[in-house]
Amino acid sequence: MPLSRRRFLRSMSMTGAAIRVGLPPLAAMFNTNGTAYAAAADAAADGALAPRFVFWFNGNGIPERYWIPIETGDAYELTPCLAPLAALREDVHVISGIDNPNARVTAPGNTHHKSMSALVSGTPYTGRGAGGASIDQVIAGAMRGESRFRSLQVGVCQESHGENIHRNLSWAGADRALPPEMIPHNLFDRLFGVRDERWVSRKKSVLDAVREDLASLEPSLGQPDRQRLDEHLTSVRELERAIASLPTDYGKHVKEPEDIADLTDYPRIAKIQSDLVAHALASGQTRVASYMLTKCQSLVRLPWLGYTRLRHHDYTHTNADSPEGQRTMRDICRWHVEEFAYFIGRLKSIPEGAGTLLDTTCVVFAHEHAEANPHKDNGLALILAGHAGGMKTGMHSKMRNTVGDLYVTVAEEVFKLRLEKGFPTAEKKISGIV
Amino acid sequence: MSASARASLCASAVLVAVFLGVTTSPRAAAQQAVAGPISFSRTLYPIFEAAQCRGCHTDDGVASATRLHFPDATAAPEDIEAFGVTLAVLVDRDDPAKSLLINKPTNRERHTGGVRIQPGSFEEQALTEWVRHLATLPPETVAAARAQLASAAAPAAHDQRLRRLTHSQYNNTVRDLLGDHSRPADRFPPEDFVNGFRNQLRTQGMPPLLAEAYSAAAEKLALNAFRAGDVNNLVACKPSNARDLKCRDQFVRTFGRRAFRRPLADDEFQRYTALFASEAAKTGRFLDGARVVVEAMLQSPKFLFHVEGRTADARAKAEDYDVASRLSYLLWDTMPDEALFAAAEKGELRTAGGLERTARRMLDSPLARQAVDEFFAEWLRFDRTLGAVKDRQRYPEFTPELAATMVQETRLLLGHLVWDDGNFMEAFIADYSFLNADLASLYAVPAPTAEFERVRFPAASHRGGLLGHASFLSANAGPVETSPTARGIFVREQFLCQHVPNPPPGVNTEVPEPTIDRPLARRQRMQAHVANPTCASCHRLMDPIGFGLENYDAIGGWRDKEVIEFESARRNTPRKKVELPIDGAGEIAGLAGSAFSDPKQIGRLLAESRACQECIVKQAFRYALGRVETAADREAIKTAYAAFRESGFKFRELLVALVRSPQFLEGM
Repeated sequence: MPLSRRRFLRSMSMTGAAIRVGLPPLAAMFNTNGTAYAAAADAAADGALAPRFVFWFNGNGIPERYWIPIETGDAYELTPCLAPLAALREDVHVISGIDNPNARVTAPGNTHHKSMSALVSGTPYTGRGAGGASIDQVIAGAMRGESRFRSLQVGVCQESHGENIHRNLSWAGADRALPPEMIPHNLFDRLFGVRDERWVSRKKSVLDAVREDLASLEPSLGQPDRQRLDEHLTSVRELERAIASLPTDYGKHVKEPEDIADLTDYPRIAKIQSDLVAHALASGQTRVASYMLTKCQSLVRLPWLGYTRLRHHDYTHTNADSPEGQRTMRDICRWHVEEFAYFIGRLKSIPEGAGTLLDTTCVVFAHEHAEANPHKDNGLALILAGHAGGMKTGMHSKMRNTVGDLYVTVAEEVFKLRLEKGFPTAEKKISGIV
Repeated sequence: MSASARASLCASAVLVAVFLGVTTSPRAAAQQAVAGPISFSRTLYPIFEAAQCRGCHTDDGVASATRLHFPDATAAPEDIEAFGVTLAVLVDRDDPAKSLLINKPTNRERHTGGVRIQPGSFEEQALTEWVRHLATLPPETVAAARAQLASAAAPAAHDQRLRRLTHSQYNNTVRDLLGDHSRPADRFPPEDFVNGFRNQLRTQGMPPLLAEAYSAAAEKLALNAFRAGDVNNLVACKPSNARDLKCRDQFVRTFGRRAFRRPLADDEFQRYTALFASEAAKTGRFLDGARVVVEAMLQSPKFLFHVEGRTADARAKAEDYDVASRLSYLLWDTMPDEALFAAAEKGELRTAGGLERTARRMLDSPLARQAVDEFFAEWLRFDRTLGAVKDRQRYPEFTPELAATMVQETRLLLGHLVWDDGNFMEAFIADYSFLNADLASLYAVPAPTAEFERVRFPAASHRGGLLGHASFLSANAGPVETSPTARGIFVREQFLCQHVPNPPPGVNTEVPEPTIDRPLARRQRMQAHVANPTCASCHRLMDPIGFGLENYDAIGGWRDKEVIEFESARRNTPRKKVELPIDGAGEIAGLAGSAFSDPKQIGRLLAESRACQECIVKQAFRYALGRVETAADREAIKTAYAAFRESGFKFRELLVALVRSPQFLEGM
């Protein structure tokens, strides 16, 4: 029963235009040559459009029977959880059977911690955070892009057990979390806030002073403290980079989101964040983003689905194998896919060159576990979406590969990047991705 | 015989072969000379690890009160060998068969962790041999091993020292520095709870999003500071024009000293006067120069981090300012005031007497209340009470206002004990509290005449101390049902400083739902935790504490019966209710004589337990130092505990004792 659509429409009408950042009028998006701003801003020398990468995540596992298609190939039937992707079927590639071996390495922490670290970085959990850089950061590093933000981290639902590994999807390196921006207003302001040349010059001289202060400190400190200041310095450099290039005119067409009275109205916030990420990618402000719909081992409550008694993680372990428990998880995971489909739909609605933004984007959608209740960490199910680098879509494939194999294939075959250090757990590339 | 059983038999056979000294390589012979017939680290240690003894038997584990503490998981093999020898303390030299080391893990003698090593197994045989070996060791050998282990356990585990302002400190500091009450850090990326607190060194990184938040906040704060002229008198002199060098220099020195919490070094002074000059020249306005200096300093690592001393003055002076800052952020949760700067300048903090006088003066200031309040808010997780979600039909009275009232009650009780110099352990047994009408109605006691007036609980009331506070009871419960496990974990972790291990992988943590055909009380439905040995080994440490509090419902109201409501199949027909008797007997497993049947009794058990008293010292230490204690801190904690105890458990005396510890003074 497409409960989701009804609810979705109702929330649209209730909140009206506020639910979305207004899509810029099409004409306004093109310059006088008829090429889109985004394209003009980021076009490579040979005229090819720069590809983008998005790492999309939601916490806890899935009910496999309602999520993973039975058939493989292009004639597979969409499962109840995947139903929201019906209109985007030709834009996605459902992948199952992916193994996450380093989730099983003996390490402190529970199997959510361990699976999360291994899923994002391929490395075992350190007891504090992920053991290495996450795939989005590895790709951002290899791209050596010159865009305003090296990468963006965006989040929606906040409720979690509160540890670093729960709350962060992107990691610059071992134990170095890159927290997501959860508040739409802050995100809008970073991306499209009004700036002028005076502001830029003041900001630059301020950051110069900060950098000199940092440099004057370093020699007197021990190694771990020096590392912390290095991190500060890196962050200041990223700030300088964001300041050095102002947002393009594109920003003028993106409306500021209205005030959100209820900060737990997650379906609404998810859509605003999706809109802002789509605009950030379209305007060439960044080429890499991570999107954390819910936290690892998420404790979100889901009143919009009618589930108020428990939190998501509780549902995954409460009568989870009974038909009723499975149906609850089905509805919850379908909501995740619904928000994912909204994002993919947004990318597809933004014209770029002769096609759309989705044509130059690759989105990887993952969870920390396969079946939720037993914390299964082999046989993960993921979705690849978009057409960057000629990705194959419109089918379901069962693989016998690791997360590392998948990431290296995406980096090297979709983005034509060479990962000098490879990626942990990667042994062989996967055929059938492009 | 199954393949796996065979495999394990084979492994055991090998083990016994090794154990009996069949190997005679030179290396093994050398080990034999030092540690006995076998390598403890390669044979017995893996047996203990497989039995998961470490889960409880560590310094901060649930079995911390026993004499068995495993060394760190990363310990070197030679230290593990030494550890094996120190186990002699658990051996009965006269009758090895009576040794705890063999009788506890086999549960021949009642073991809280149940059977970890099967009686009659090869593992037990190996252990018995080791016990016999230990019984023959001379005391000197055991003492030497203990010394080796102690020296190995005192590494520089806390080589990270650079602490960042917490969000709370940031808010307070900009308030006191600029007169800005806007609390900008409330909108920063949230801080993580680690070791129970939000101020732990380990989490204080500086990712780009946070640097950007600092940058945006600095911009706004600096703008607001001078938006309507210099309303807060940040510039003490009257500038004659935008290029008034004297006034500029004076401003940079004065403001810089307050922002960096010590006088500026020459290079800093030059950097910021140059920044001032270039900005003032661009706009022609003196205050624009001041504004850009404020904006820059608020993003400097010297403002954001507690940076160890470096000023134009002598090194000793710099340390004085460091100590002043550390005192200020611990005791006030904000920057030093003028009097504290002056004390640092005069070198008054260098003597034990001066330091103590200053600390006491600071604790008399109203600013100390905000600091101690922040410690309590984090230690007792008020955020969980305030963020608790309860079923609206079941608990219509639970509103955000009521939750705030619950927290207020706990704040007032603890505040009373701290600031009226009461015995802090009374927090667990107080037969009075501070209530308003709503809370009094929840507690079913007469309402006070004024809001939050002190109320004595009637003799018939079951309430007494923190464990009867709704703030604790509702934070550690579900929306409808109580959670004995959560309440038990909270008591273990917050009040006994014992770390409860996570559930092992693949365990289903569901507690069966009650059904209308077979309605069972929560306690009965949790029997699985005891019936299944995997669950039982840990849950018997947590659940019985919570079972003893089962008479308190999910928002802290008293109940004589457990009421279970069932949805009706048809709309508009009333829910079916089943009432079940409550078995309120509980115990703190592992603590001798800790059975209790009334919630008031558990409060008394805690108040009188050394583990709990020491835990309060440890919690304050973790908060004060921004890290968890190590073996190297044992002495400091012992000293602070002695002072706390001798003072009759006055919390202020505990703080003074911590301030005097070398760890605090040297910022390590």
